[in-house]
Amino acid sequence: MSTTTAIPAYRNLLRAARIAFQGDNRVLTAARISIRDGFRANASLTPSDPNLPGAIKHAQEVASILRQNVVQGKMEGEAYKLRIHKDTERGDNDTIKMPNGTKVKIDGKTCSDK
Amino acid sequence: MFRTALIRSVGAATAAASRATITRPAVARRVVSAIPSARFAPAQRLGAVRMYSAASGLKKEEVEGRIMGILSGFDKVNDPSNIKPTAHFANDLGLDSLDTVEVVMAIEEEFSIEIPDKDADAIHSVNQAVEYILNQPDAN
Repeated sequence: MSTTTAIPAYRNLLRAARIAFQGDNRVLTAARISIRDGFRANASLTPSDPNLPGAIKHAQEVASILRQNVVQGKMEGEAYKLRIHKDTERGDNDTIKMPNGTKVKIDGKTCSDK
Repeated sequence: MFRTALIRSVGAATAAASRATITRPAVARRVVSAIPSARFAPAQRLGAVRMYSAASGLKKEEVEGRIMGILSGFDKVNDPSNIKPTAHFANDLGLDSLDTVEVVMAIEEEFSIEIPDKDADAIHSVNQAVEYILNQPDAN
C-alpha cells in the first residue's frame, strides 16, 4: 500500500469517526474496527496498482460522509436532541436536493406572492 | 468587609437623619456620593487579589509513563517487555504504519490535543512522542 496517500486517508477517516461518534464508545469502537479491517483488506495494493486511487477515494468519501452527514441524536423527553457540529452539512430548501453544491432556484416566489 | 462597613455607616446616617430632621439634606448628599465609591471600590480590591493558576507543566516521567501505558494496552505490540522509553514503534514493537497512526491518535486523546498531520508523521518512537508532548503547552 502506498503510505504517502493511505496514511493521511487513514488518519482522516479515524478523525472523522471520532467527530461523528463522539461519546458513543460502542459505535466508535465498531467504526474503528471496520476502518481498520477495510484498510487491512487493501494492504497488499502496490503504489502502482490501478485500484489504489479508487480505494483511497472511497476512504476519503466515507470520511466526508461521516463528518458532514452523520448526526447523533439523543432522546430527551419525547424528542431527539441532535448534536449538530461545525462540520455538519447544512442545506436550505433551494440546495438540499441538489448534489455537489449546485444551486437552483426552485420557484423564485415568496410567501407573500399569490 | 468594606461593603458591610459602608452599609452600617449609611444605616447609622439614616438613623441619625430620622432623629434630627434638620440634617437630612446633608445626609442625603452623603448617601448619594457614597454609592459610586461603593460600586468601584470592591472591584479594585478584587482586581488586586485575583489569581491565575500557573501552567502545570507535565513531567517527563509522567508523560513517558502514560504513553507506555497506552502502548501496553495496545494488542498489536509484539511483546509488552519491549515497551521502553526509547522503543521505536516499527523496529522494536513490531507495529506497522497503520498501527503507528492508531497509537498517535490514542496519544492525542490521552493528552487532549490535536497533532497536525505533518507532526504526527514524524512521531515514530516513544521518546519522539514524549518530546512532542512536552513541547505542547496545551497537553494535559
